[in-house]
This record gives sequence, C-alpha cells and structure tokens, in this order.
Amino acid sequence: MGPMSRLVGRQLTRHPIRSVLTVGSLTVAIFLLCLLRSLVTTLEAGVDAADSRRLWVMSSVSLFADLPLNYQRKIEQVEGVANTCKWQWFGGYYQDRSNWFAQFACDEKRLLEMWPELEIIEGNADDFLRNKTACVIGEGLARQFGWKVGDRVPLIGALFPRSDYSVWEFDIAAIYRPKKATLDEQTMFFHWDYFAETQRASEGRDPNVGVYALEMHDPAAASSIMATIDSMFENGPMRVRTTTEAEFTRQFVEMVGNVPRLVAWIGTGVLLAILLAVINTMLMAGREQIREIGILKALGFTDGTSARVLLGQSLFLCGIGGGLGIGVAKLTEGFIARSIARMFPGYHVVGSTVALAAVVTIILGVLAGLVPAWNASRLRPVEALRRS
Amino acid sequence: MLPFSYTLRSLFVRRSSTLLTVFGIGATVAVVSGVLALRQGFTTMFSDSGRDDIAVFLRPGSTNEGDSRFRRQLGDQLMKSLPEIAKDAEGRPLAGMECYLAILREKTSGGKTNVAIRGIQPRGFAVHGKAVRVVEGERFKPGSDEIIVAKKLAARIRDCRLGDVLVLNTTPLKVVGIFESDGPYGSEIWGDLDRVLAALNIDNPNRVVAKMRSGTDVPALAKRLKKHKVYPARVLTERAYLQSQTAGLSVTLLVLGVMLAVIMGLAAVFTATNTMLAAISSRTHEIGILLATGFRPVPVFLSFLFEALLLGLLGGAVGCLMALPLNGLETGAMNFNTFTEAAFAFRVTPGVLTTAVLFALVLGLVGGAFPAWRAARMRPVEALRRA
Amino acid sequence: MIRLENVTRVYRRGGEKLTVLDGLSLDMEGGKFYALMGPSGSGKTTMLNLVGGLDRPDSGHVAVAGEDVGALEGAALSQWRADNVGFVFQGFNLIPVLTALENVMLPLSLTPLSRAERRKHAEFALELVGMSDRLSHRPQQLSGGQEQRVAIARAIATDPGIILADEPTGDLDRDSADQVLGLLERLNKEFQKTILMVTHDPAAAERAQRIVNLDKGRLADDPREGA
Repeated sequence: MGPMSRLVGRQLTRHPIRSVLTVGSLTVAIFLLCLLRSLVTTLEAGVDAADSRRLWVMSSVSLFADLPLNYQRKIEQVEGVANTCKWQWFGGYYQDRSNWFAQFACDEKRLLEMWPELEIIEGNADDFLRNKTACVIGEGLARQFGWKVGDRVPLIGALFPRSDYSVWEFDIAAIYRPKKATLDEQTMFFHWDYFAETQRASEGRDPNVGVYALEMHDPAAASSIMATIDSMFENGPMRVRTTTEAEFTRQFVEMVGNVPRLVAWIGTGVLLAILLAVINTMLMAGREQIREIGILKALGFTDGTSARVLLGQSLFLCGIGGGLGIGVAKLTEGFIARSIARMFPGYHVVGSTVALAAVVTIILGVLAGLVPAWNASRLRPVEALRRS
Repeated sequence: MLPFSYTLRSLFVRRSSTLLTVFGIGATVAVVSGVLALRQGFTTMFSDSGRDDIAVFLRPGSTNEGDSRFRRQLGDQLMKSLPEIAKDAEGRPLAGMECYLAILREKTSGGKTNVAIRGIQPRGFAVHGKAVRVVEGERFKPGSDEIIVAKKLAARIRDCRLGDVLVLNTTPLKVVGIFESDGPYGSEIWGDLDRVLAALNIDNPNRVVAKMRSGTDVPALAKRLKKHKVYPARVLTERAYLQSQTAGLSVTLLVLGVMLAVIMGLAAVFTATNTMLAAISSRTHEIGILLATGFRPVPVFLSFLFEALLLGLLGGAVGCLMALPLNGLETGAMNFNTFTEAAFAFRVTPGVLTTAVLFALVLGLVGGAFPAWRAARMRPVEALRRA
Repeated sequence: MIRLENVTRVYRRGGEKLTVLDGLSLDMEGGKFYALMGPSGSGKTTMLNLVGGLDRPDSGHVAVAGEDVGALEGAALSQWRADNVGFVFQGFNLIPVLTALENVMLPLSLTPLSRAERRKHAEFALELVGMSDRLSHRPQQLSGGQEQRVAIARAIATDPGIILADEPTGDLDRDSADQVLGLLERLNKEFQKTILMVTHDPAAAERAQRIVNLDKGRLADDPREGA
C-alpha cells in the first residue's frame, strides 16, 4: 500500500461515524437501485428467453376474449405448423383469494412436447398424463404451499365455477423446474379434458380456448404462418392476432403498467439524494483537510496528487458502499424472490444489474470527489497553511 | 433556551452543507410524495364517483365485472322480481344488464393498450343518471351499431373521435357521441348491450346494475341473495364496488411508498446526522463557551435538535415544491383488478403535503437526535481545549 | 546560495493593498544558519515562503543555487521543492492521521527510492532527532517538542540543501526550544544545511550565524558577521 492510499484510508477512519453513515446510505441506495432494476429485468426475462419456434394465436379484440374450439384443427392444417396446444386461464384460487396463483388448462401431452424447458424434478410425466385430474406444478408453488407429489389440492374456480359451486380437485402428479424464463415456477398446468368435461356439465357446452400456442417446423416461416392464420379468421367469428412468443410475452409485461418508467423516475430521485449526501460528506472532508493538503504541497507533492487524496476518499467510500449494496442485493435475492414470487416470479439480480450498479457507484464516487479534489488542486499552500 | 437567531445563523454559515442536506431530504420527500400523489389520484377517482343508491349484482365468488358472468334469463328474472329496485314513470324497473370487456386498441401515440368497452341496456342511462354526460353528439340508439366514447379516450385512442368508425372484431361501430364522467366510466367506450355482445361473440353479460328505492338496506339484500335458489348474486353498492376495485393498485402503491420512505429515509437520516455532526464538531469551541457560561445541557440539546428539525422542515418544503408540479399531471396506470388502463391525474392534496412535511420532520428529528445528544454531553473544559 | 533581487510582494485584502516586501534585495550564503527577525508584518514569513517556492514574487527574482524559483510552475515547482527544501513550521503541521514514521516517509515517496530504502532513510532521520522510540506514535500522542522534532526529521528526510523554519520554537517551552535549536545547529554544522529560521525570540536568533533584520518589507540593517 502506497503512502497516498494509506493517507486516504486513514482520513476515512478519522471520522468513523461519518464514514459509516455515508457508506450506510450508499449501501441502502445501491441496494434499492439493484432491487428496482431487478424487478424490471425479472418482468422482461420472459421476453428475452422467448422461443423463436413458437407462435401464439390470440384474439385480436381482447386479451380476455376466447377463441372457438374448432380453430385448433384449422390452425394445424396450416403448412409449417408442427404442433399446437390449447391454453385456458383458469383463474382459481386455493382456500382464500389471497392465495392466488396462475393455473392453465392445457393439452397435457402437447404441453410436454412443446415445452422441453418444463423439467420434471419430482413425480413423473406418465402419472401426469394418465390420470385425468392430475396436474403438474412449479417448484415455487410446491414450496409456497408445502405441496408434495400425491397431494390432492382443492381449488375454487372463480372464473369457471362448477354447477354446484363446489371446489375443483386436482392431484399433484409432478413438480417441475423451469429451465428457461419462458415459464415461471409459480404455475399449475392440468388436463384440458378435465376442464372441458366439468364445463360441459355446468354450462351445457364445450368451453372456449384462451389462446393457442403453435410450434413451427422452421422459424423462418414465422411471418408467412402468422399472416396465413390471421387472414384465415378475418371473417370471424373471432378475429385473431398471431404473434411471436417474444411479442406475446411483452404485452403481458406492458399490462402490468409503466413499471420501467416509474422505476426510472424513482431511481433518479434515489441517485440525486445519494449524490447530494456523498458530496456533502466529501465537502466536509475537504474543508477539514485543507491544512493537510497545504502540508502535502509544501512537501513537494503536486496539485494532482493532492486532488487524488480527496478523490480517492470519495471513490473508496463509494466503492465500499456500492459493493455492500450489491452484496446485500445478492444476499437477499432468495428471500425477496420468495416474498414477491406471485407478482414477480423468478426474481433475480442479473449480471447486467450488478455491472450497472458498479458503474453508477464509480460515477457517484467521481462526481462527489470532483469538487473537493478540484478545490484541493487549486489550493495555494501558503493560504492553506495560514488557515488553521 | 438559546435564541432562534443562533440556529438560523449557524445554518446559514454552513450554507453549502445545509443546502445539500436540504436537497437530499427534499429529493427523498419528493419521491415519496410523488408515489402518494399517484395513489391519491387513483383512489380519489374511484371512491368519489360511486353512488350509494345504485346496487351492483355480480356472480357469487367474483370480485369484479371481468370475473363475473350473469346468465341472461337470471338477470331478467332478478330485475323483474326484486321489490327493492326503483321503477320509472312507466313502472319498469330502473335496472339493466351490462357487459364489460378490456379490449386491445391502438394508441394514437403508437403501441397498444387495454380499454374497457361496456354494453348497456336502454334504461342503463337512466340508472347511471348524471354520472355519464354526453357533451358532444348524442347517445347511441338502442339496438344500433353506434357507440359513445369517453372524452379522455377520444384523443388518446385511435378511431375514437366523433364520426370515426371503430371496428370491434368484425363489426364496425360508429362513434356518435362523446361523454364525460368523473369516475372510471370516464375512460370507457359505451354501446348497446346486445350489439356489443354479438360483436364480441359472447353470450352472457357480466353484471346487473339497478337504482334502488330510497332507504333500501343493501347489506340485508346482499345477505338474502347470497344463497338465493334461483338467482344467487353478490350485491354491493356502486360506491363499495368501486372502492374495492382500487385495492390492488392502491395497496401496491402504498407498499411501494412505505418501502421507499423507509429505505430512502434511512439514507436521508444518515446525511442529516453527518451534517449535524460536522456542525457540532466545527462549533466545539462555541459549545464549550456556551456550557462554560452556564447554559445547561438540555437547552444545548434542544437547540441542536431544533436546528435539525429546521433542516428537515426546509427539506420537506423543497420536496413539496419538487412534487407540486406533478399535481394535475394526467397519467395512465394499469388497474390490476380489471387489467384496463385508467386515466387519472396525480393529486398532490393537502393530505399528501402534510404527510410529506411530517416525514421530513421525522427525518430531521431522527438525524439530529444523536449529534444533539453528543453536543449536550460535552464537558466544557474539554470542548474549549479541543478547539 | 540564495539571492533575492529587488523582490516585491503585495497582498490585496478587501481592496486594500498591503506591501509586504518592498524591493528587497539580499544575498545569503549556502551552508550558513540565518535568523530572520523583525516585527509582525515585516515580511519574514513571506520571504521564507518565496525562498521555498510556496509563494511567488510580484516583481523581482528569487534565485536558489542559480535556479529562478519564481519562474518555476506546477509539477516542476513541486519537484523542485521536494528535491531542495525542507519546511519546519511553528504549528508542526504533521498529518494527524499518520504515525511519526509515516509522516517522515511521506516526502520520501516522491523519490525513486524503494519502500525499504524509504523506511531506512526515515528511521535514520528520526534517530538523528532522537525520536527512534516513537516511530508508531500519532502526533496527538506526542508532546510539542517531540512533534517538532518529528517535523524536523521530515524536513531532512529527503536530504534537501535548505531548511526553512518558520518560528520553530514559537509554541515550545524553553527546554524543548533548546533541543530544537540544538538540532538545527547540528544540521548546519554536521550536514552543511543552509538554514533560514524566522523567529521573534532574540535568544533563539543568537544561535544563528547571521541575523537578518526586516522592517516594513526592507532590510533594517546589514547582516551581522557571525562566528
């Protein structure tokens, strides 16, 4: 350690309370930035991970309007389509409305064929396919409710009540872990036929389909397949819009509202507040060290070296605070992920967030050190020594 | 007690430090009050517009119109047979079924958003009364492919100006009127129930609304209909219904506000403490003199605490000034309950401002307590020698 | 060899001009111990600062061993200071957060010496001033006399030709002052350092070989021939 870095370190220990408080507020601010950005990246993770071989067919009118059942056969006949799968949002809940999570009625066999990223880690696929009331659940759900393979789970069908308003029962046949962010670990999938039969009993007819997913032989054919399907249903009964998986996912991200803009807005406020705090600390340090800077200059140290002593302190403080903030964000990752799993499934502090936080930290350190360092470099030793 | 001018002067002497602290606290206060103003705007729009004499009937177990589905025959039966529902001049019930769907429309600024379309029956206008006012053009004719559009949407959503044709699925609908409404209806498109259902290829409406006779006990009615054999329904007043719709976003924003207040507040307190510690260390000599001339520790403590409070107050004022321009700013936020975008304005109310200033004072108080205590505990001899 | 040629230095304070040095010309021999005396405001410290390159004349020249100090700027001036001058101040001016050894090693970091060599030099300088047993003490743990001895060690650590001392005994008791003056004498005699010492104290000035008396920015009389 050179004498300059030693001087930097010693100056910081001169006012331990001040240094600790400054580092503390930096830690808090950088942690908050990491947290906020992670919420955004978590929301957008699905968009980035989207599979280019899959397309989605949805109503062009509304995200909540259903498609007729007979669309599936027509879609399958389009050239280039290898496989299709029905999805319907079930919208049920367990015991209480606050225990809300996502459930989908799907073509169970095609689901496993089309989503290889759905990796079964407990139970097995055969049991899931064999038993009509079977379901497969994400490991996050299993953890949240303490469910195990073999459990029978009663759900209240808020959107699709049974004719006598009794509960739906599902048997957990398998637990999956998503290998990609296209699926989250808080979802339940169950048999289309179980859904359809129960609906026939209560409504007297087959249920409609929320969306169709389809798999192409060749992703290059996407635009022609999308155009073919869209025009096929131009005359109704329900017009459709076929989109890539990335686009399909993006609209759900946007549905949550303007989170990125809100986050950017809050982040600016946080940064402004913390910048002012660090500048404050560094100006105090600069004022106190005027005499020492004068001594350094009298000893023959250059203006640049004198400035670096203060800039170094600023960078050091910010480095520690920012490092701790990033550390706290990483350490609390698991805990936060569990507590907000429902709204932000798959919460994760990604590498780019860490890098961004590090860059912000360094910029803060430079900005805050700049003014006192500039003052120090311009300080005339005679004046500095006179002020005591 | 030490004179007020002493405190003021010492804040002024260290003006760069004072300013930085004040703006640091200000930024914190501004962010927190911005979130609170957003929440205020949202809840005000919903809770101020609901009426107590209108009842909303939903399917049992559903919490909003989107979830609810009401079979037509049951809706008709309910409207005809409930004695609590008010009648019009011709003796017909002042009630109507409504359908509701969030439809995907293009914004004039580009991109897509969810907008609510509502289909109502002929007497629906009579039920809602003055809550919905057509300000341009006229009401749609019953049974026609005509719609009226909320004024707030007309400019923001494509094909929504007077005279435009909006294509819903395969049905072209003509915009014949523009209406205003203070509540959430003010961000909707309205048309004829049967035509909208047909256009959307849907069979059943979502809810029944009815004007109730004065003096109707809605909770009692709700209890009666909860397990009704023929037409079980969840009944609540329109006001209660709209209030329940704000819960999701309102709670989210409140949690966000509190989280930011705690985390950013912590940073602001640290800054205030630093500033006060520096103030005290640079005035050690002065404090020594004060104590030596016979000032008791308590007034010294109070004087420094007061200085910190003043810092907080100034910070609060700056924060409020930074947040004030938000007032009236129109924004769209997604209502999680219906997944439609509701347009509303930030509302920086006196309540929000009071909360902001109190928050700032707490920041100053917490930040100043330790340094003030430290100043009061100084021993005069040491303080004088150390300077 | 230090030469001041018609040196003028004017301070402006609140619109008021204060002429501190008024056309001062003076030659001082290398390797001698000079005492600068005179009433407050006579320009003693200003002259010292000009010789040390901490300050710059408004007109005239300050030459030290042939080098025009007033013409040096920035890094060149800093380097010149590091190589040629050691300062000793009335208020000691040690860096409070560094230990005695670290304080003395500080100017050595401007030299190309290795860390081990720097330490050796610093320890030698501290031994010279009799502070070998206080290497890891911080300034506030030392008495005034001890602090000043550390400051002298710092001034001589890089082996500069000139030592500039501004009232080095001003804050010290009689015994400590004697020790410090003895040290300066020794540095002058044994190591041929040129020493310029500003002082108010006639007894301290007696220890110097020559006395320069300043008054209102000019020489009050010619330097006395010393022993």
